[in-house]
Amino acid sequence: MSSDERGSARVRLLAHVEEAARSIAPLWPLSTAIAVNPLWDLRQMPFHQAVRHAQQVLGISGYPSSALFALAYAAGRVNVGDLRAVLDGGRGVAACRDVQAWHEPEPGTRRLKTAAERHDGIFGSQVAASVDREVAKWCAAYLAGIVPTGPTEGFYAAWREVVVFDPSARSLAGGVGRKRLAELGADPENAILTCLDLLGISDEDRATELARHLARMPGWAGHAKWRSRWAAPDQPGPSLHLVDYLAVRLSYEAVLLADEAVLPGSARGHTAKRHRARTAPHHRRTEGAAQALDDHRARAGGSVAVDLPDDVKRRLGGLSATALAKVWLAAYEGHYQDRLLGALDRPPPEPPPHPQAQVVFCIDVRSEGLRRHLEGCGPYETFGFAGFFALPIRFSPWWSDEAMDLCPVLLRPTTRVAERPVTSTGQAASRELAGRQAVAAAQRAFDATRKGALSQFLLAEAGGIIGGPIMVAKTLAPSWYQAVRRWAHQLIAPPAATVVDVDPDADAMSDDERALYAEAALTTMGLTRGFAPLVVLCGHGSTTENNPHASSLDCGACGGNRGGPSARAAAAILNRQATRGLLAERGIIVPATTWFLAAEHDTATDTVSVLDPHLVPEDHADGVATLQSALDRAGAATAAERASLLPGTEGRRRVTGPAGRAADWAQVRPEWGLARNAAFIVAPRSVSAGVDLGSRCFLHSYDAATDPEGVALETILTAPMVVAHWINAQYYFSTVDPDVLSAGDKTAHNIVAGVGVVQGAGGDLRVGLPLQSLYDGDRAYHEPMRLLVVVEAPEMLLEAVIARNPVLEELFDGQWVHVAAREGGHDHWKIRRAGGGWVHWTAADAHTDTKEHTNRG
Amino acid sequence: MDETWGLSQMTRIEVVVSGEDVAVAADLFSEAGARGFTAVSNVSGLGHGGHHQGRLLFNQRDALALLTVVLPAERAGTLVEGLRSLLVNRSGVMLVSDTWVSRPEYFR
Repeated sequence: MSSDERGSARVRLLAHVEEAARSIAPLWPLSTAIAVNPLWDLRQMPFHQAVRHAQQVLGISGYPSSALFALAYAAGRVNVGDLRAVLDGGRGVAACRDVQAWHEPEPGTRRLKTAAERHDGIFGSQVAASVDREVAKWCAAYLAGIVPTGPTEGFYAAWREVVVFDPSARSLAGGVGRKRLAELGADPENAILTCLDLLGISDEDRATELARHLARMPGWAGHAKWRSRWAAPDQPGPSLHLVDYLAVRLSYEAVLLADEAVLPGSARGHTAKRHRARTAPHHRRTEGAAQALDDHRARAGGSVAVDLPDDVKRRLGGLSATALAKVWLAAYEGHYQDRLLGALDRPPPEPPPHPQAQVVFCIDVRSEGLRRHLEGCGPYETFGFAGFFALPIRFSPWWSDEAMDLCPVLLRPTTRVAERPVTSTGQAASRELAGRQAVAAAQRAFDATRKGALSQFLLAEAGGIIGGPIMVAKTLAPSWYQAVRRWAHQLIAPPAATVVDVDPDADAMSDDERALYAEAALTTMGLTRGFAPLVVLCGHGSTTENNPHASSLDCGACGGNRGGPSARAAAAILNRQATRGLLAERGIIVPATTWFLAAEHDTATDTVSVLDPHLVPEDHADGVATLQSALDRAGAATAAERASLLPGTEGRRRVTGPAGRAADWAQVRPEWGLARNAAFIVAPRSVSAGVDLGSRCFLHSYDAATDPEGVALETILTAPMVVAHWINAQYYFSTVDPDVLSAGDKTAHNIVAGVGVVQGAGGDLRVGLPLQSLYDGDRAYHEPMRLLVVVEAPEMLLEAVIARNPVLEELFDGQWVHVAAREGGHDHWKIRRAGGGWVHWTAADAHTDTKEHTNRG
Repeated sequence: MDETWGLSQMTRIEVVVSGEDVAVAADLFSEAGARGFTAVSNVSGLGHGGHHQGRLLFNQRDALALLTVVLPAERAGTLVEGLRSLLVNRSGVMLVSDTWVSRPEYFR
């Protein structure tokens, strides 16, 4: 091959890798874990087509099981009226123009296979499983820093250096094969091309072959995709890129299957048998998972074992398994849609005329209950806005060199914001810093001892005297232990008063930029006049113990971090005179008597803490105290409501309430998180005020009257709505395909290199959400449905925004989400069909009461 | 083109892709031997899929970007092939034209 041909092949290869990677989702490291639609890069296809593609590549079902629908039917969660509405084509949400198509035979779903899988199918060997095992082992070792690497050395280069000494590579491929593994080229792209040539994969089949390679282990491949396509260029840590990952995988396959130098003639069959003997335990797991998948697929598409009226039974009888699943899913979604729109189909009540405070919460569904209860506690008005408060910042705590990006992953931070001790607390700050440094040094020493070859045994012997009682205390009296730990921490490093520094300097935002972000936040949430004396910006986070997935319970709009720093920065900017002056020039007049206050909602305990209390002016002190009291009452009511939904709160072996759960290091379900999320409401709060939405709705405040060009609506739909869709889709797919797209059982998790968890001793990183976030025992707690987006805005404005944003056309026309809208409070809801037609919403069963909705059905 | 100007002929490739595809397009440029490129973020316009909004306030990955790369004609074919493969399943525009540069050594 000439150098030009090689160059051309390398360019094509990069395009093939990119195409292959569409079938898998990026996987963020545990410290900043965020939800993502596992099929996000297939969104150019309609939902059902993308699911079909994923069935072939990932081997998923993509639809809820028939058992789930049967249980829902028995519980009245979906009924005959819902099914008839779908089959009659009368329900917009169901894409009923597809009804006729559902009766047409579907093309067979051909499961794609790698060369190793095809070989295994013929010879009964387990080459593919062996490759998985080896690659997973090396990925973990590389990311954990066990493999020695040069400063710029990638995964493939590092692996080549050490694989020639690997006994299991010798056992797998023999001495010659092990040597050959490192002889396929120093460059990963060239190595992939060589391997594909050896395996006989033609140019047109390469993207498909690579896609299946990535799908074999979507966790490690997802981490590589994150690193290749989402991580910041200056992201620290070892770089495991997609091309390196594929080069290592294909090297094993090529050497084991196609390299005549290693396996001439019938030796391949002999080696395959040897593999079978060696990899039996691993393979049994793989085989077991495959069997579970097959069972799940059979359940997913099959007929739902319920007693239906003859007319419905007859009409469902001619449908394929997949079409049946589509009908049931549409009916199941329609049932919820009817109850939600029914509850919102009323003229909105007037908001309190002179609120004592306006509290801006994150759009997160967990804010809904707290907002509802706070509004019931007095003249308080609440708003919903993405919890980064329109400030994409890189934040540094004053006692740390490390920084965190506080913004949705759709954005890169535009500026650095640092915390600093207030000037008057110099001595206190020094004491806190010394205390924190002492704790950090002790932690480092402990970790070093724990990882030492011999010292770990000494530590276990010597540390048992202290560690034993601590473990007993943590287990038997978690709340007490937490209180003692807090007390000790306060003693060693008493917190000094700090501020988030937003004053302009050479590296930070200018006053104009600050005003621009402040204006964007206020106009997008529709808060441009009628300011209360206190406007609270309330971020959120979740305090839990021993929880590798803790960051997934924090604020997604803050990149999987706590939202307190964002609230503090935004409040500081909005309290600056310079910002207010510039806002006034833009027509937003914030009274001098209004104070922006930062707070943080702990969703594990439903407590709200006021942040930076030392900055509150004296004349607002009473107002803050009164508000804190109301927040305490609202938090207690929300916690009580939430406790009733958590399992294990009754009987003799009941567990403690939310606060106790949060402190318990053995608690696998400290909170339900965003389970049962179902809708995204873009409207003034008055549209949903007073309705118990069951903590199932993302609530984004929006006032179309202040947005004639649709700029704010566009911002909401292209960013917060996309993030809400990701969360919704992750919950959906983790629930319907837990074997492939959930993180599995928490109790068997082991953390690998801080980037993810594996189930048991090794294997693939688990993607998605843990089962304990989705299921209560065998029964799904989360209701898998596509997100329903409810907008109060003129139809023409909404269509104009959709038409100029391809991502919205893809999501709405492709039915990844459903859309309902009305122009004003006195109009009735309409449903948007794929392609842009609107139909009036009518409930499938007008006689069904709304009790189920208000009971979070 | 007036030969007395002393310019050298090259091939210019312009692509419009979504923000999330900029990195992979840049990888293709690099692999094809391009020495550099120019990126303009947040471009808007009218195309096969209708109007495309330029700047999205809180979403950089779905906003469109215009990338311009210049390279010798003999290397352009490779890049065109790669970009064509990339654009099979995603929205985007690719324009290829002749261009002339005054300092060809910067592009070889």
